[in-house]
Amino acid sequence: MNRRKFIKNAGLITAGTLAAPYILPTGRLFAATGARKVNHVVFILFAGGIRNQESVKKQYLANQGLATEGNVMPNILRGAQPGANLVYQPWNTVLNNPLQESGTLFPEMRYKQGPTGHYNGHTVAMTGNYTETGLNININPEYPTVFEYYRKHSDPARSALNAWWLSEGLGPYPSLNYSRHPDYGAIYGANYMRPATTIGNLGQEYLSTASDYQPDDVSRINMLRNFLDSNFENQAGPVSGIANNDKDRERIRSFVKGLLSGSNPIEWPTPTGGTQGLTGDLINIGAAWKVMEAFQPELMVINTFNLDVCHSNFSQYINFLHRADHGVGWLWNKIQGPEGAALGLKDDTVMILMPEHGRNADPNNVNDNNGLRAYDHTSDANSRQIFSLIAGPPGVINQNQSVGTGNVPVGESIDIIPTIAELLGFRDQVPSGLLPGRVLHEALA
Amino acid sequence: MRVSKYFFLLLIPLLFATSCKKTIIKESVYDEVIYQLDTLPVYSSNLEKNREKSDIQFISILYADLFGKAIAGNITGELSELKLSFGDKVVLNQMVVSAFINDPDIKIPDDQQMRNDPEKFVRDLYRKFYLRTPTAYEQYYLVKLINEDPGLTAEHFYTAFALSNEYSFY
Repeated sequence: MNRRKFIKNAGLITAGTLAAPYILPTGRLFAATGARKVNHVVFILFAGGIRNQESVKKQYLANQGLATEGNVMPNILRGAQPGANLVYQPWNTVLNNPLQESGTLFPEMRYKQGPTGHYNGHTVAMTGNYTETGLNININPEYPTVFEYYRKHSDPARSALNAWWLSEGLGPYPSLNYSRHPDYGAIYGANYMRPATTIGNLGQEYLSTASDYQPDDVSRINMLRNFLDSNFENQAGPVSGIANNDKDRERIRSFVKGLLSGSNPIEWPTPTGGTQGLTGDLINIGAAWKVMEAFQPELMVINTFNLDVCHSNFSQYINFLHRADHGVGWLWNKIQGPEGAALGLKDDTVMILMPEHGRNADPNNVNDNNGLRAYDHTSDANSRQIFSLIAGPPGVINQNQSVGTGNVPVGESIDIIPTIAELLGFRDQVPSGLLPGRVLHEALA
Repeated sequence: MRVSKYFFLLLIPLLFATSCKKTIIKESVYDEVIYQLDTLPVYSSNLEKNREKSDIQFISILYADLFGKAIAGNITGELSELKLSFGDKVVLNQMVVSAFINDPDIKIPDDQQMRNDPEKFVRDLYRKFYLRTPTAYEQYYLVKLINEDPGLTAEHFYTAFALSNEYSFY
């Protein structure tokens, strides 16, 4: 074989190796790794049950027998705020241009199957699979979560420091950081925190006096623990939760300790940066930024939930909707501002918003102090109407466009996880049959 | 002839009414055992431990082992909520253990006591946390560590034992 022929053959073999599907030692066949479009995705479950009427349709009090319409989400959506009959305290906007202009809005998405319960909605959104289970029990979901897909199928494998789930409330929600699927589970799960508890009063009560261990202390404790564990055959199982390695655990412990002690002060997403007007949703968003600042996770899911007050207090629902909008704008501003730029997040982060489900078309029998009627969510057609906004850098996300109408809805709840998989480049590695949804290509540049 | 079961049910009170009356003397004898602070070994080997403690069991037992008294219900509830709020239970347990150990009500041996009698220190640790006697190798290894590493503290040992896999099982 002459030199020219050798080089030609070697080139062909190399090209074939790169282009052709791989056969792993396990015998599994899969396509070559997809290219990432960004390195960070923040998925905000704008939850608690939000009606399209008060969000993307900007109808404000129009369904309450008053003629006043307007946009109470000025950081996210384009449109003027209500000019009269204010039942909320307007806050100055954080963003110069609404987030809608930095992305693609799907104003008419659908939550097609299963009960419109909060836990169902969260499970559907985070696993990409509809569920019929109506139980609010503390059990990990049946299908893998987005965190498990991301950690198992990213190449190289990512540590749990790269995947975080922060919830506004407890109940069953801590269970959403990994599934009970036999091929996935805790070893691919995300770190989880409910900031209002961990760094709130209970954390202050029980954790703040924990020692500030020096590296020597940590290595001695770990050395002793390793010796003790080597003499015991059983391993602490799933009850021990997500598994970080010792080095990552130390970083997390130090992070929590810093938040509790105030040595790592938290700026809250309120107009003053203080606690005035602070809600549970804003606590979660403020803490989310601290996590991003500390670890720059590639995949983070957070939720808001205070809007569930709509079961009994429509005015407060509007108020919380407005504040949650403020929190979203604040977080995007952090990501795209100098702090985000210094952390490598600016122009490399896609933010996705979606409520877990909507609310009924007809009100219940509860009136608030302003005489406004409240709404439940009992799986009627209106409670299946949701929206999504996918915002991100130009060249990655199509800017300032709206896809879908009431007559021609586009997108479903189960489409967000495949879209995240596409953005982070592991879509092709997810075994077929696990994700029934589709990639929302309309949003991708 | 088939006798209804209800017939027997009717018969039972009749039997009690007509039976001899027996005087039962209930005698309560209180022994004079003095409960000492030393924990007696329960397990002869760690192989007997194969059931993992639940979160609540872990917290309750840890509290009792360190504070020497039963945990109050509200503390159990609050600590359970705190544990639920954080995904990595090892990190959270580590912080809870450390905060407990720093509590002024906790009396752990000081480092000088540990170094004055390392054999007793190690033996007491195994009894307190594992409810068993250390094996000869465990005793030898840990005593050797204490003697060879002046930086090791009693707190390091207490923390490591409370966070070990064996302590998570019963």
